[in-house]
Amino acid sequence: MDIMNLLQSLEIFEGLSDGELQQVAEICDQLVASKGTTLLEQDDIGKDLFIVAEGFAEVVVSNPSNEKTKSIVNLGPGQIIGEMALIDKGPRSATVRIISDQSVLYQINHTQFENLCEKNTRIGYIVMRNLASDLSFKLRHQHLQDI
Amino acid sequence: MDERDDIYKISYVILGGQHPGAIVNSSQKPVIGNVVDLGDKKFEVIEVVDLMPSRGRFHYLHVTCRSLE
Repeated sequence: MDIMNLLQSLEIFEGLSDGELQQVAEICDQLVASKGTTLLEQDDIGKDLFIVAEGFAEVVVSNPSNEKTKSIVNLGPGQIIGEMALIDKGPRSATVRIISDQSVLYQINHTQFENLCEKNTRIGYIVMRNLASDLSFKLRHQHLQDI
Repeated sequence: MDERDDIYKISYVILGGQHPGAIVNSSQKPVIGNVVDLGDKKFEVIEVVDLMPSRGRFHYLHVTCRSLE
C-alpha cells in the first residue's frame, strides 16, 4: 500500500482533500523495524507520531511505584502511535515495541506536523477532531479489555 | 485501496485475559470463524458486534476471539 492509499484509510485524516493528504504525505518518513525494536520509551520526551502500515506494535505501561509492567494492547495496521504527546505535550505514556518481523511504519515529525496545521488550519481542525474519536475508540477497547 | 472503500476499525478482545487484545483497521468485515493474526498469535473470531455508530465509511467493531494456541 502506498502512502496516499494508507493515509486515505486512516480515520485521523478522514475529511482531508487529496491535496491536503499530499501535504501530509510529504512529511511522512518510512521506517522499517524488526521484531524487538523499541519505538517509544515511557516517560521519554518525544512528540513524533507513528502510523502502523504493516505488522504490530505492543503497548506496555510500567508502574514506577512497584515496577510492574502491563501489556495493554497490540496496535496493528492503520493505527496511530504517539498521539497523546502530540495533544498534551507530556512525556510518553507508554513503551511501544515492535512484535512482528519487518514491520513498516511512517513517522511524522511533530514540528513539521504542527507547522503544517498552523499553515493550513483546516487540516489542524480536522485532524484534532478525528484524534478525539481515535482516543475514544482506544478507551472503549480498554474498558472491554478490563472486564 | 479505493478511497470509497469502507474501513472497519476493530477492537479485538481475547477470552481469558492473558492477551491484551489488539486494534486493527481492515477493509474486510470479520465474521465468526475467521482466524486472525494479531501480531504474535492466531485467534478465532467467536463474536462480532458494533462498538460505536458508524461515521461515514468508518465502522467500529468489537470482536471477541479465543486463542488457537
